Amino acid sequence: MANPDILYSIRNLTVEYQTRHGVVKGVDDVSLDIRRGEILGLVGESGSGKSTLGKAMMRLRNGSARITAGELWFDGQDLMKLSERQMRDLRGSRLGMVFQDPMTSLNPVQRIVEHLAETMLTHEPEWTEEEARERAENLVERLGIRRERVKDYPHQMSGGMRQRVMIALALALNCDLVIADEPTTSLDVIVEAKFLDLLKELRDEFNLTILLITHNIGVVAEVADRVAVMYAAKLAEIGNVNDVFEKPLHPYTEGLLKSVPNIELDSGALYKMQGSPPDLSSPPSGCRFHPRCPYMMEEVCPVYEPPFERPEGASEDCRVACWLHHPHPQKVAIGA
Amino acid sequence: MNLPLQEQETPVPQWEEELAKVGFVRRLLRARKWYGADWWFVAISSVMVLGFIVVALFPQWFAPYGPHEQDGPRFLAPGDQPDLPLLIVRADSGFTSLEDLATGPDSEVSRPPIAVVRGAPTAGSLREQAALIDDELQDADTGMRLRPNIQRFDTVEEVLQSVQDGESFAAVMSSVQFEEVADQFPDLEAPTDISGGVASAGDFTLGTNQIGQDVLSRLIWGTRIALIIGFSSSLVALFLGVPLGLVAGYAGGKVDRIMTVFMDSLYAFPGLILAIAITAVLGPSVLNVIIAIAVLYIPTYYRIVRGQTLSVKQEVYVEAARSIGAKAGTILRRYIYPNVIPSVSIIFSVNIADAIITGAGLSFLGLGLPPSTADWGIDIARGQEFIQNAWWLVTFPGLAIMLVVLAFTMLGEGLTEILNPKLRDR
Amino acid sequence: MPETRVGHAAGTAPAEEPTPLVEVRGVKKHFPLQTGFLASLFNRGETPAVRAVDGVDFEIRRGEVFGLAGESGSGKSTVGRLVLNLLEPTEGTVLFDGMDLSKLSEDEMRRLRSRMQIIFQDPLASLNPRMTIGEAIAHPLEIHEPELSEGQRRRRVLEMLEAVGMNPPTSYADKYPHQSSGGQRQRIVIARALVTRPELIVADEPIAMADVSVRSALLDLMMRLKEEFDLTYLFITHDLATAKYVCDRIAIMYLGRIVEVGPLKSVYGAPAHPYTQALLDAVPVPDPRHRRTQPMPRGEIPSPIDPPSGCRFHPRCPIAQMGLCDVEDPQLMEVPESDNHLAACLLRAGPRAFREQTPPV
Repeated sequence: MANPDILYSIRNLTVEYQTRHGVVKGVDDVSLDIRRGEILGLVGESGSGKSTLGKAMMRLRNGSARITAGELWFDGQDLMKLSERQMRDLRGSRLGMVFQDPMTSLNPVQRIVEHLAETMLTHEPEWTEEEARERAENLVERLGIRRERVKDYPHQMSGGMRQRVMIALALALNCDLVIADEPTTSLDVIVEAKFLDLLKELRDEFNLTILLITHNIGVVAEVADRVAVMYAAKLAEIGNVNDVFEKPLHPYTEGLLKSVPNIELDSGALYKMQGSPPDLSSPPSGCRFHPRCPYMMEEVCPVYEPPFERPEGASEDCRVACWLHHPHPQKVAIGA
Repeated sequence: MNLPLQEQETPVPQWEEELAKVGFVRRLLRARKWYGADWWFVAISSVMVLGFIVVALFPQWFAPYGPHEQDGPRFLAPGDQPDLPLLIVRADSGFTSLEDLATGPDSEVSRPPIAVVRGAPTAGSLREQAALIDDELQDADTGMRLRPNIQRFDTVEEVLQSVQDGESFAAVMSSVQFEEVADQFPDLEAPTDISGGVASAGDFTLGTNQIGQDVLSRLIWGTRIALIIGFSSSLVALFLGVPLGLVAGYAGGKVDRIMTVFMDSLYAFPGLILAIAITAVLGPSVLNVIIAIAVLYIPTYYRIVRGQTLSVKQEVYVEAARSIGAKAGTILRRYIYPNVIPSVSIIFSVNIADAIITGAGLSFLGLGLPPSTADWGIDIARGQEFIQNAWWLVTFPGLAIMLVVLAFTMLGEGLTEILNPKLRDR
Repeated sequence: MPETRVGHAAGTAPAEEPTPLVEVRGVKKHFPLQTGFLASLFNRGETPAVRAVDGVDFEIRRGEVFGLAGESGSGKSTVGRLVLNLLEPTEGTVLFDGMDLSKLSEDEMRRLRSRMQIIFQDPLASLNPRMTIGEAIAHPLEIHEPELSEGQRRRRVLEMLEAVGMNPPTSYADKYPHQSSGGQRQRIVIARALVTRPELIVADEPIAMADVSVRSALLDLMMRLKEEFDLTYLFITHDLATAKYVCDRIAIMYLGRIVEVGPLKSVYGAPAHPYTQALLDAVPVPDPRHRRTQPMPRGEIPSPIDPPSGCRFHPRCPIAQMGLCDVEDPQLMEVPESDNHLAACLLRAGPRAFREQTPPV
């Protein structure tokens, strides 16, 4: 990939996994670029495919999920061509991941400092143990945890602290990209706010690139530079955060924004989205959102899947998969 | 604090809706697609278990002989034919069996002469067999009788010569003796043995034991006792252990502590030893064996049910039941018990296997069952001293135990695999 | 786009009734910790306990939606269960319709349950996997209205399913909970809670586990049912944004105490307690033009086993005054220039606040 601004590029990625009733596409032909130094928010509900996408980006084992199509390019490197061993080297040293529940990612019988030091030494064998420990303590302090706590075990720390430790792990090795999958979902709101502040600071100070996967659009509005919205394993919309929130193009995004309570507004109406997220093993035909879409066009939407492209007149960053914004939906209907 | 979103939010998959509409048998067959090897496991073992149950219920259909009949020669190896004495006649005489020698009021000779070798045991067999046939004839009231006039000769050749010459209507001797000199007497033939049936292999398919009982028949009759003990003791243990476990788990406190201490000490005993102690005290009978083994397994059910009850007790739906005002008894009955019992039904099958083997162990040691019972353990115990010469006395009962235990264990384990993930998915 | 009113005139309490439906007075709930033998030697007789609820007073008026908000460790879920007597208070009294719940016999309490129900956070977990949906909804009727025939019960169950929007009801009544979709499960739980026509519903994070796009439909349902069945809600939540849309009055809890309570508009519009202010600031706003700039309180929520001295929030409070806030433990006191708005802050409520008129930060 030529463009140096783009740190991670996903091209036509499809991830399939086995269920009792056959093969299901958890991610269906998704293309996405992540720019250096940005915080990209990836929003979706359960079944949207966002977590599957996150794990696929790290080529992590995820049940029966397999990448069946597409390319993953990290900083000019084709990840699909790497061996598991090479991927392992990448993970943790340049690609970091923060999960929803840090308890399961941290070794319960290992002190935090040992875990951090060990990880660092795995990737930088030239360092000595004292160097690694020193660096671990510094990092932890930078993230707002008192130095002495570094000798604690995971269960002795609160949820918020554990999440910070996960970030510390990512930073320990100068990760370029951190994929955070619902990092604040299990945190209280004040802790969440502080964690989001931390993400912004880290982005500014270390030029860290962050992919923030969440179902909470409030969180995305607080920290992200760009927003991508996923629905039923496909991308619905992507764009600059201000554009998407002010003028959402995809009806799903619009419905989502209207149905989420906004504490700053005088309470008025909350929009009720009809229906519920679809069953991925038999998704709706044509546009997957069409059964719930108030703007559905009878001849087009249930039949043809809309392409993910930039509408006319929209800014460069913008892409949406919706027939409403397609120049000639009627032509599609008659098969022109 | 937001809470993690789980797959809970996906709508009901279509295949589930379809499956709910389809009947039970179809579902069983479709299950094969999902469960793969486990399905075969369960299918094969359930067929085996069913087979054993049928055999145990109707042994008379399957066993050629009764459990105590001593019809055969002793120590007959499997596949060997019993050495029955042959009936030898002149080929032109037209006699084909011993019954043909029966005489009526208008026969020339009322007592047909039959030659045997002096001192041979075949004379006794002849007399027995003739007496049997004679009784039958008398019952049939046809006026026919069979009362042979037994002629004794010193040698085999003399015996056969007398038939050849026509002095005796027939001769009776062992097949071994006849075959040695058969070519000297081309006019004679041996159409059957004296019992009337054509000598057939397979009369005693698996051989006979030291007192002439058919091994196969004893095997089949033994199935009944083995399964009776297995099922009964497991059922008794279940009916006692499950309610105790439920009560202990739900009530907690002192009740729980006392019962658990008691059950744990019972559980700590090495199984067989405890069973031995109990049967020694109670005396030999099927009922006592069942009691002894049941006592052994009550703690197993108790522990499992208590553990499950403790965890189910914490579930939100139990709290919900309390919040709608349900009484403790109702909660136990409708909320806890149904959610605990699946784990029990799974171990039931394995438990039966265990009980059968313990029962066999007990009877092998000579305890528990009255010595006249047809039982695998007893057979093995009796046969072990002959293991060098008559290996089949020990091998076949041993194989039977192994197969039955295997079948029940496979069934239980297979069911665990199939039922548990489904339970967990929900 | 079709719009539906979810929030009604939130912020104003209905006309005051003589007897509140629920009164909670001085309630505490401590869960003793299991300590090892050696540790108990050093405790000098006082067993450490998790002080989940440590002195709470409030009342719920008929017909209102009373919100109870807080983060983890605040004790809000415990309060919900104390109100229903699913837990017994270590100290204090809970009155329902004037009756002291601790004084009732087991039978009387059980019968009272038909008038007060709970909706749990995890709908699937709160449904017995071995009972069909119809059986689950019918069970409260079996207990409280045993005179009903099976046919009558069935009719009530179907009515209820229709009322919560599960149409046609007959296709759901014989299914098992795991055969229903995520959005439907909470509706089933609501149906079960309402089948005995209770007066009070305690809703413990009722939409937290639902998909974002179906939450507003659920909230709307709950509010419609409130009108239709004349209900009173105790709405327990951590999500202050949602609370704004449904609550008439709201109480904010911190470490087992109520730190602020009052009409919603008043509490949200002019929060007195610094913790309330921080909570409101912290809520992520789905509008990138209004990103939070206010700083968050330092530190984290302390352990409920050993709360800080004096005002429990003082170690984290941006305006705490040493010598005062770390010594005196404030009660709920009136907030100046407000109506029925109380806060447990020595500086912003009560006599000192009236004297000094400290403006909010």
